[in-house]
Amino acid sequence: MSHIHIPDGVLPLWLWLAGWVVALAMIAVTSRMAIAEDVRRKVPLLGVVSALMLVAMSSEIIPIAYHINLTVLGAVLLGPVLAPIAAFIVVTILALLGHGGVTVIGLNTLVISAEMLIGLALFRALADVLGRKRASISAGLATVVTLALSTLLLVGIVWLGGGGDAAGRETGALDPADLRFENPFAAGVFSLGLFTADEHGEEPGDEEPGGEGAGQGGLSVGRFAAVVFTLGPLGWLLEALIIATIVGFVARVRPALVFAGALADERRYIPGDETGTS
Amino acid sequence: MNIAAIDSSATFGTSWLHRTAPRAKLAAFVFVLAAVIATWNVLILAAIGLVLTAAVVSARVRAGLAASLALYPTIFAAVFAFTAAPDLITGVTIILKATVAALAAVTLVLTTPYPQVFAPLQHVLPTVVGDALLMTYRSLFLLIDKFGNLLTAVRLRSGFSARQPLRNAKAATRALGGLLLYSIDLAQRDHDVMRLRGYEGRLRVTTPRSEAPARDAALVVAAAGVTGLSVLVRVYAAALNPFSWMAPLAALAILVVVLLASRRSR
Repeated sequence: MSHIHIPDGVLPLWLWLAGWVVALAMIAVTSRMAIAEDVRRKVPLLGVVSALMLVAMSSEIIPIAYHINLTVLGAVLLGPVLAPIAAFIVVTILALLGHGGVTVIGLNTLVISAEMLIGLALFRALADVLGRKRASISAGLATVVTLALSTLLLVGIVWLGGGGDAAGRETGALDPADLRFENPFAAGVFSLGLFTADEHGEEPGDEEPGGEGAGQGGLSVGRFAAVVFTLGPLGWLLEALIIATIVGFVARVRPALVFAGALADERRYIPGDETGTS
Repeated sequence: MNIAAIDSSATFGTSWLHRTAPRAKLAAFVFVLAAVIATWNVLILAAIGLVLTAAVVSARVRAGLAASLALYPTIFAAVFAFTAAPDLITGVTIILKATVAALAAVTLVLTTPYPQVFAPLQHVLPTVVGDALLMTYRSLFLLIDKFGNLLTAVRLRSGFSARQPLRNAKAATRALGGLLLYSIDLAQRDHDVMRLRGYEGRLRVTTPRSEAPARDAALVVAAAGVTGLSVLVRVYAAALNPFSWMAPLAALAILVVVLLASRRSR
């Protein structure tokens, strides 16, 4: 649950707009850096690594909203310049498929970019300390720490946006105070209550304005944090195990991919054209 | 994620919505999204959802596919609503917001081929991002196909067993590792092809000319009307909320008419 599965219109305008502005600025800078070198190699690589992350993020592994991200692995393959671009592409396509809001694409890009960059830095540092033979351990540890940090970032975003006063969130003819439909015909032709007033022990309108409960109803950040930090570790461990196994496998088969990235080989020759004339 | 079914629906559909200009559909999507963002009225959200359902029915899109895609984010929204919403009705509103926004996105994606969805984005995004968006969608097909084949191969070699979840996980993860290596080779092959075809940093997508400009305009105006209604009810909530039940009722009437018309046309 590292990226934000918050629907459109829940976070305040200033927050998601700020997310968009910062994310687009970051994408503009990294794109300029990316096209400085051979862009023909980077576009297909970005495409396949983003597609890999998309396959992972759109496949639920446990039916209570757990899915893997492959963000750390993506960053290891792409490097720090292309990682934020891949993050933007992945969240944009996910949003178009209904997975995550369109307004939170900017914030999601920032969270996933942070996840990728921190994961990459941690993996490289741990690989230096533990050695290349323990690449899977480095990848697993980097994944757990990174996911914990990005979850903290997610809670921080909800905290920033969650202080809104729900009194301003009118919910239509349904009264949020007692979950009772307001009678659309003033004379009381019909009424429909989800709960009766007795269950609340008071009649609608008994509450004093400004009394207890007034102005409450902003998102409950404490409860949200408690749940994600309770459910989260299982997901972090699952993803860490998967990443560790994949990185261990790839490190044995093609170590350059893991330790130097997919763009390590500076030149690419078309088979049959090793002289590079075409 | 059944990406092949999504693409087939977008490419081979012949309904009025499929034939509407992609730009008009994108504009309508933005308007509907603005309506979802603006409102906190559960009845207005329900009305928008019903109108979108009518659009999906009239577009003769596979209902099961649209429902599965639109309801998937409901799981995540429910987790968020359960943990963060202060009361039941706010929770229901959050879930409805996610589902209705997803339904709007899904309606767009199921009736518009992906290059046409990405083409307008290409104009505003840096070239490397616009091109990589197109390459990502193309790679998705190949990778999902390949992963399916890999899992079939593992199954045929008795790699999966109901009684050994650990072994299953190991086999699936190794298949993912194999998929990763395949995808890197795929990127190299794509590079070769693009180099041979003279790619210099811009994939061009041609947008088809509008078939019926009046229909396109009507769709955009209708979507703008939905946004207007949503904003109006938000601004004059105190006066209009008691009447907001009329919106889902009207939307339900539209849905019933569309359902009857589609049944008759069969």
